[in-house]
Amino acid sequence: MTPEIIVQAEALTKQVSSPEGVLTILSDVSMSVRKGETVAVVGVSGSGKSTLLGLLAGLDLPTTGRVILNGTDLSRVDEDQRARVRAGRVGFVFQNFQLLPSFTAMENVMLPLELAGRGVAEQEARLGLTRVGLEDRMAHYPSQLSGGEQQRVAIARAFACRPQILFADEPTGNLDENTGGRIIQLLFDLNRERGTTLVLVTHDREIGTRCERRLELSAGRLVGALH
Amino acid sequence: MRTSSGVVRGPFGWGIALKSISLAWRLLMRQRRAGDLKVVIAALAVAIAALVSVMSFADRLQRALKFQGSELLAADLVVRSPYPAKAEWTAEISRLGLQSAPTVSFRSVVLRDEHSHLAEVKAVGEGYPLRGRVRVAADISGVDAPAGGIPTAGTVWVDGQLLALLNTTVGGQVTLGARRFTIDKVITLEPDRGGEVFAIAPRLMLNIADLPSTQLIQPGSLASYRLLIAGDVVLIDAFRSWMRKRREAGVGLHDASNAQPRFRTALDKGEQFLGLATLISVLLAGVAIARAARNYAQRHLDTVALMRCVGATQGTIVTVFVTQLLVLGTVGGAIGSVIGYVAQQAFVYLLPGLVAGELPWPSLTPAGVGMAAGVITLIGFAAPIILRLRGVPPLRVLRRELGTLPNHIAAVYITAMLTLAALVLWVGRDLVLAGYVLGGSAATILLLWALSLLTLRAVSGLRRRMNVSWRFGVAALARRAGSATGQIVAIGVGVMAILLLTLVRGDILQAWRSSLPADTPNHFLINIQARQLEDITVFFRKYGWPDPQLRPIVRARLIAVNDTPVEAQDFKDAFAQRVVQRAANLSWAESLQSDNKLVAGNWWRDQERALPLVSVEKQYAEALRLSLGDTLRYRIADQEITVTVSNLRSVAWDSFRPNFFLLVPPELLREYPASYITSLHVPRSQTHQINELIKQFPNITDIDVDALLRQVRGLVDRVNLVLEYVFLFTVLAGIVVLYAAMQTTRAERRQEVAILRTLGATQSQLSLGMISEFVVMGLLAGGVGALAAMMVGYGVSEYLLGVPYRFQVGTWLGGVAAAVILVTMAGLLGTYRLWHTSPWHSLRET
Ligand SMILES: Nc1ncnc2c1ncn2[C@@H]1O[C@H](COP(=O)(O)OP(=O)(O)OP(=O)(O)O)[C@@H](O)[C@H]1O
Ligand SMILES: [Mg+2]
Repeated sequence: MTPEIIVQAEALTKQVSSPEGVLTILSDVSMSVRKGETVAVVGVSGSGKSTLLGLLAGLDLPTTGRVILNGTDLSRVDEDQRARVRAGRVGFVFQNFQLLPSFTAMENVMLPLELAGRGVAEQEARLGLTRVGLEDRMAHYPSQLSGGEQQRVAIARAFACRPQILFADEPTGNLDENTGGRIIQLLFDLNRERGTTLVLVTHDREIGTRCERRLELSAGRLVGALH
Repeated sequence: MRTSSGVVRGPFGWGIALKSISLAWRLLMRQRRAGDLKVVIAALAVAIAALVSVMSFADRLQRALKFQGSELLAADLVVRSPYPAKAEWTAEISRLGLQSAPTVSFRSVVLRDEHSHLAEVKAVGEGYPLRGRVRVAADISGVDAPAGGIPTAGTVWVDGQLLALLNTTVGGQVTLGARRFTIDKVITLEPDRGGEVFAIAPRLMLNIADLPSTQLIQPGSLASYRLLIAGDVVLIDAFRSWMRKRREAGVGLHDASNAQPRFRTALDKGEQFLGLATLISVLLAGVAIARAARNYAQRHLDTVALMRCVGATQGTIVTVFVTQLLVLGTVGGAIGSVIGYVAQQAFVYLLPGLVAGELPWPSLTPAGVGMAAGVITLIGFAAPIILRLRGVPPLRVLRRELGTLPNHIAAVYITAMLTLAALVLWVGRDLVLAGYVLGGSAATILLLWALSLLTLRAVSGLRRRMNVSWRFGVAALARRAGSATGQIVAIGVGVMAILLLTLVRGDILQAWRSSLPADTPNHFLINIQARQLEDITVFFRKYGWPDPQLRPIVRARLIAVNDTPVEAQDFKDAFAQRVVQRAANLSWAESLQSDNKLVAGNWWRDQERALPLVSVEKQYAEALRLSLGDTLRYRIADQEITVTVSNLRSVAWDSFRPNFFLLVPPELLREYPASYITSLHVPRSQTHQINELIKQFPNITDIDVDALLRQVRGLVDRVNLVLEYVFLFTVLAGIVVLYAAMQTTRAERRQEVAILRTLGATQSQLSLGMISEFVVMGLLAGGVGALAAMMVGYGVSEYLLGVPYRFQVGTWLGGVAAAVILVTMAGLLGTYRLWHTSPWHSLRET
């Protein structure tokens, strides 16, 4: 029995106009991720990894081609419906954390639960923050936390609503090796505990090898799907 | 080598400064595509456009109004004396190159066959009137037109009333003193007659060259001599001070500012309002600039930290940013000045016939003042913020929270207030008004700041209980308490300023309307005899007019004050001299008329109905230096009566109702011979009914003030129209403030929306969150701003404009509602685009 496909990209091309003319960032990328899989997207800097991740999550639209996330063709719906597709089902971890500066750690973690209309937000958030080791920093604002701590809040937020799929874009890019190692460990541990699908963007081959499958991008093209 | 260290250091210092300036220029040029730089310039331009247009328009209008005031005086300056103008005066006038024309006024009987009547005679010299026009008609029912000059030798012009009284027509012969004249024209409007509405006799005008031949002017005869003068303001001022230095006894100087009490209220209030509007435009411009500067500085914190990191000194940073400030100020100021100039010109086209005659061309002063005021405002409101950049530590490169701008910089408020005060002193000159506005703004700022901090604290305590959208809005506010209070203060001051202007304008309008209702009397009937009272009432009823309110007049001559005999020569003041020379009209009243206000003493009680008391009009009392308790002795026919001053009154002379300098208790003068006066409103189309009345009661004199009333009404309407347009411009400045305030949090908001979108927030969740934030902001800013506007409005209305103020909850609620709606709309307008864009771009930018 083949596991269900959770996200599928078909012939994605992304072009942007720049002062030097039209720039093709991604060309003809097709791929799919099955439920429960861990997939690493690797490649050198500027190869289009973040761009691909943004398209897969529906944060941006491809110039041509389509993305089907959780059964919805993202190009066919509007911004609001794309948000609804993500709500409660998709988690994110970014290189630069992207926490809301006006919310406390606790409120940041509660946010996706509340947006999805889950009643037990506070309890879940407390559990999540305890799991990432921040039980005594819950009332702190992002600006009062170190980079590593902020990323742990981001991870707690990402897992808070028990998403089916988690997108992580170089979650350790802004952290020292030691901290980064622990953050990655936390990510994989949680992923295993919750049985989440993981799409991880990294240029660190060592981290890439810890995933079940690796996709390599080079100059906007998929050059090899490594198992 | 005798080079001083100054010479050595000079070029060195200059070199660095030049480098910094060119760096400033390059940095600025590199950002020329940046959206928010355009916003800074736009904010400045609109603010300065508002300032310049209001100022140049106000300037033009003020000069036009002054000109109109001059018309009411028939001159720019009038020298009034009990004897003909001295040769030295006319010599000085021609030395200065001013125009002049003499007039002589006195009363005399005019004869025609068996008819005779007392007339107010006015002999006029070549050139009269120097300002405005006399209008004349070829006969009594003819169409009138401006007169080309003055009566030619041997002819006189008379008003319609005298023509009727003498039962003659144009072309008829009349005798004045020892000379016969031919009636040549009928006077319909005499520009400088307004002040003499109550001159009891009709008008006869002749050429001053004919005056000696009448032999009416003898030594000791009561004539009033005027020398009308016109010309350049500066020269007029020169002559005025030359004249003042001479301290001639009995000579009075009059100009447009004290020309016509009947026009004063409209002009004064109009001018005060324009002053207020200008001041408020400056205030709003300043607030917008302070906000824009703050946004600009905030955006450059990282740039500065980086510059410091790579070795820029604090001096360089200051030079770079002050240069940028000046460049921005000049560009914004120039654009604003041009727009402002065009806008005020547009006002003129929008309001044809705004003032009678040509509107004087705008002097360049307002543009210059506007530019200078713009730069001063920019420096006063923005420099303290920009200078803060000097203190940004290089370490910010590593720790971004370092060197963040404080949200309230005391220096900003202090220099802002000082700047405003300086501008007011320089441009506005109305210190009391400025005091109210500055005091009001300072109080508003403090109150807003304190209240918004408190409220944000309180609300943020509640956030746990709110749903996510509300929490998002409120948390955003509470977390940004600093910048949020800054925004609230800016918006609140805007609300205060605009609502204040609305209230004051409403009050002025209200005052004008109620002072001149549609049925304001346009005819005064005087000389009614006691025996005619019933017949008059019957006549009134026949025409369906309301029963006449007849006010008695007893003619009396002042002979002593506090038992000391008085003579005209005892007084220097021309008005006092006339008071002593002429018979006084004593009237009586039960109670105080609504257009009178008691300023000292008490009105008489019932048991004082017959006591020898007198109520004196304030100016009259001032001229004669009277105070409460003084006694006045009057001669009435062959009897004498002594009355004690029991109270002083102020009188609204522009109410067009019969009013008297002197009032006594109702029963004091019962036994004395009185005549009566009444006023009534007769539609212009029915003026013939008044003629019927005069025919039936030939001793009664009709004074037609319809033309004067129309003149006042026309002025009020036009001034009001101008106020409306000026007001619109101030509102525009307010919108810029709102925009600049909302701009402050744009970048943060963009990121927040992107994150929320990423986490799956729907549009309704997003908009609800923002609306909650804007509503709280609008409530705070509107609540306090509206309250402050009402307080300041109360002060300005009651104490400055003399208009009674009514507190109305509706006004406050309206202010709050308007603020909430505007802030929310502006906020949503600024963010709605974010809801439809992919979050990816926003996320990549941070
Ligand atoms: N909006 C845009 N406008 C112009 N160029 C863009 C835009 N977005 C991305 N690019 C370019 O597309 C290319 C791919 O960008 P992307 O961020 O996807 O790379 P990446 O593989 O994530 O690199 P890194 O490992 O450094 O994060 C880069 O060269 C980038 O400059
Ligand atoms: Mg990337």
